[in-house]
This record gives sequence, C-alpha cells and structure tokens, in this order.
Amino acid sequence: MQTRLHFAALLFTSIAFTQVAQADQLAAIKAKGELVCGTLGTDEPNSFIDAKSRQLVGYEVDLCRAIAQGLGVKPVIKQLAVAARIPELQQGRIDILTASLTHNKEREALIDFSLSTFYTGQRVLVKKSSNITTVAGLAGKKVLTVKGGTQEPNIRKAVPGVDVVTFETAGQAYLGLQQGKGVGYVDDEVSLLNNYAKLGAAQKDYIVLPQNISQEVFAFGIRKGETGVKTAVDQVLRGLEKSGEAEKLFFKWYGPTSNVKFQKRTFKIESDKIDA
Amino acid sequence: MFDLNFLLAGDYRDWLLSGLLLSLQLMGITLLLSLPLACGVAMLRLAPSRLLNGLGAAYVELIRNVPLLAHFLFWYFGAPELLPDAWKERLYAGNIEAVSAVTALTLYTAAYMAEDIRSGIRAIPAQQFEAGRALGLSFLATMRLCIVPQALRLAAPPLLSQTLNLWQNTSIATVIGVAELMYQTQRVEAASFRSVEAFVFASVAYLAVSLAIAGLAAWLQRKVA
Repeated sequence: MQTRLHFAALLFTSIAFTQVAQADQLAAIKAKGELVCGTLGTDEPNSFIDAKSRQLVGYEVDLCRAIAQGLGVKPVIKQLAVAARIPELQQGRIDILTASLTHNKEREALIDFSLSTFYTGQRVLVKKSSNITTVAGLAGKKVLTVKGGTQEPNIRKAVPGVDVVTFETAGQAYLGLQQGKGVGYVDDEVSLLNNYAKLGAAQKDYIVLPQNISQEVFAFGIRKGETGVKTAVDQVLRGLEKSGEAEKLFFKWYGPTSNVKFQKRTFKIESDKIDA
Repeated sequence: MFDLNFLLAGDYRDWLLSGLLLSLQLMGITLLLSLPLACGVAMLRLAPSRLLNGLGAAYVELIRNVPLLAHFLFWYFGAPELLPDAWKERLYAGNIEAVSAVTALTLYTAAYMAEDIRSGIRAIPAQQFEAGRALGLSFLATMRLCIVPQALRLAAPPLLSQTLNLWQNTSIATVIGVAELMYQTQRVEAASFRSVEAFVFASVAYLAVSLAIAGLAAWLQRKVA
C-alpha cells in the first residue's frame, strides 16, 4: 500500500512538472508578475552602471522596462557575461535577452529573435603611433576584444592572419589597447565610439578605422518556440515605434547629447528579418 | 543531441589541441621555475638569521593570502605598467599574456612548494645538520650536500600534489587572454554553441592529466616509503 501510494505521488508530481514545463512562458511571466531581462551592464550606452546613481541604465534597460510595462509586470534586470547570454536564456534563468545581442543565422538555430532594436557595425580603434590606417593593415598584428561575442569571428573573417586576444569584458580589451598590449581594439560601433569619447584630450593619439568590419543587427533573444512571448514583445516594440517613444529612447542614449553623438536615426523597429 | 564527433575534426579540434598543448607548456615552464624559487624561499625560512626568516615568511604569507585570480590580473594589467617605457614596449611586443601568466603561476606555486620543502627539511633529524656543521661545512653546503637531497625525496609526494594544483590553476590564465585549454574551450563554445561537448572535452583533458600526475605521486610514495 505504502509503495503504491509513493508511486501515485511520484506519478502525480511528474505530471505536474511536465505541465509546468509545457505551459506557455508568457503565462508564467504574468503569473509570477515579473519579466527577467538578461543584460550586460558593461556596454554603455546599451546597458551600464550609472556612475552617480549606481543603477543599471541604458537603451536596452529602458526598452526592457517598457516591455515589462506593456505586459503589466515588474521588470527585473539581471547582469550576464557576454559568453553566458545564450546558455542563460536556454536554461530558463532569464525570460528575454536584452544584451547587445547580434541577430545572425547561426544563432537562429538556437533561439528566436524579436523585432530588430538597433542597427550597427563593428569597428576597430587603433593608436596613431601604430601607423595603421585601414582594417587590412591589421594583418599579422595583435588586436584585443571581448570573449564570446561576434567580434572575434568577424575580425578574423575581415582580416585573415590577424592575431586576436580576448578578455572577459570589453572594458579589459580597451584597457589593453591603452596600455599598448595590442595595436587595435575591436567592438560594436556604439560601444567603441563611446569609449573613444571618454578618452577626452587623449583622442588625438587614437583613430577609429574608417571601415566597418561587419554589419550587426541587434535584437532581443527569446527562448526557441515561445511564440507567445515573441508576439507580446514585438507588439510592445511596434507600439513604441508608433508612439515615437522608440525614437525618443534612441536619441536619449545615442543622440547629439550622448557620448556617441549620432545625428540621425537611420532605422525603424519594424522587422525581424536579417540578410543572409 | 550529445555529439562529440564535431569536436574531433577541423578547426575545433585544432583549437582544443593547441589549447591543451599550451596548458601543458604553462605547467612545465612554471614547474621548472618555481622549484628552485621554492627551494630558495625554504632556505630563507630556515636560515640562521631573523631577517631572512622574516623575508621568507613574508613572501609565503603575502602570496598565499591573495587569490590566484588577483595575482593574474595584477601581473598582466598592473605590474608591467610600472616598468620604464622602453622595457614595456619590448615586453608588449612579445607574448605578454604568456609571460604574465608564467610569472603569476610561478610566484604562486613557489609559495606553496616552499612550505612542502621546508617540512621535508624539518623531517630530517636536526643532528644530521649539526653533524654537517661540526665537520666544518657551511650552512649552505650542509643543506646542499646532506639535508636537501634527503628532504626532496620526502617532499616529493606533496610536491606532486602541488603540481596537480598547478595543472588546474593554469586554467585561470584564460582571464588574461592566454589561449590555453579553457580559453579555447570557451572559443569553441562561442562558435558552435555546443556547451556540453566543449566542456566535456575540457573536463576529460584536465582529468586525464590530473590522474596521470596523481598516479605518479602514488607510485613515488610507494617507492620512497
């Protein structure tokens, strides 16, 4: 009898667990009343710690808050390492990835993507004293970048024979360039321009190489097959575009008053397709 | 789902094997440098001078009470910046990542090994040392000719166990961009998104080398005892 009872209990709990696993993630988000966004927190102005308030702020943080508001839940922002982004999403420790995430074909096999939220390229910053003026001039030289992103494969593709050394954060790679441990620092255009702006008077010793090494489309990562979440996130993003709020956020973080100083916005949040 | 085959061909295999090779080199070079340094520190701690004893003790305490990760970051991002510009440029033109990693690992490992060697020396009856001095040998000559050869034999098993730690500690060099096994594993993971396979490979590789070192230690222990 005892055994049979145990067996029944086991059966019951396993069915209960299966049901939780199969339940729609959107319903789960609404039930717990919070949307957990995974973000980097080390990539100004997408997500970073504000020096004065000690809070996580940025373009993607604001978008996460807007999406949570649209779903009627509380936003929870969680910081992730670049290389941990996709595994954390797949393992369900976060609901969506708002983490300077490039939308590319390789990743489509693993996760789904929201509407594209930002269009950018990747660039290289070098010291003037290296006498390098083009991306091709980096062949055989040592460049520094962050681990686990698209920066490393892209620079290797753009410059065959380049020597790449990667670090846990983009900040360390940038520090390495300043100390002279490599001739170039590779990063997303916005992050790179932002770091360049912070150099102040020392800017005269550095140049941003004019060529992009790649075109990058950023989007939010959603767990594979969670169409409910994707529909809801996309709907909020479309609403932000329509109301002009998305454009306002763009200029708040990237506009003429920011470090990056973009004069105009050349994209709209409207598509979730990328070029092959 | 689990499929190791994709690791065993093409780029991924080459990356992982080059990482394994570099890890082994890191261990080998560090071992060669840290053993003599450890002997030196053990001598300092046993020398007939308060000042030298204090120096040796300060070294051991300073190194052992700071986490290895901090050592690595200090020797890569911190210490070289204090050098004169000309030295710095020459150092940075070479493989500064590997140089910093070997420096951090050597200083760290030597602090632990010094204590093992010291305990080996203390296990040799003090009368042997006194006999050496009574025969007219100097402190260093007594150590070199009578004490250390016996002490090293006694210290061999704990030294091998430190080597085991050293082998695993090489993995932390990934944070300063040394392309060792852990670094290459993360690279394979980022390129293929096959986390399980990549980390299984790394774990098996670390385990295999560790077991080989442990086996050597057990064999030595039997032989010496």
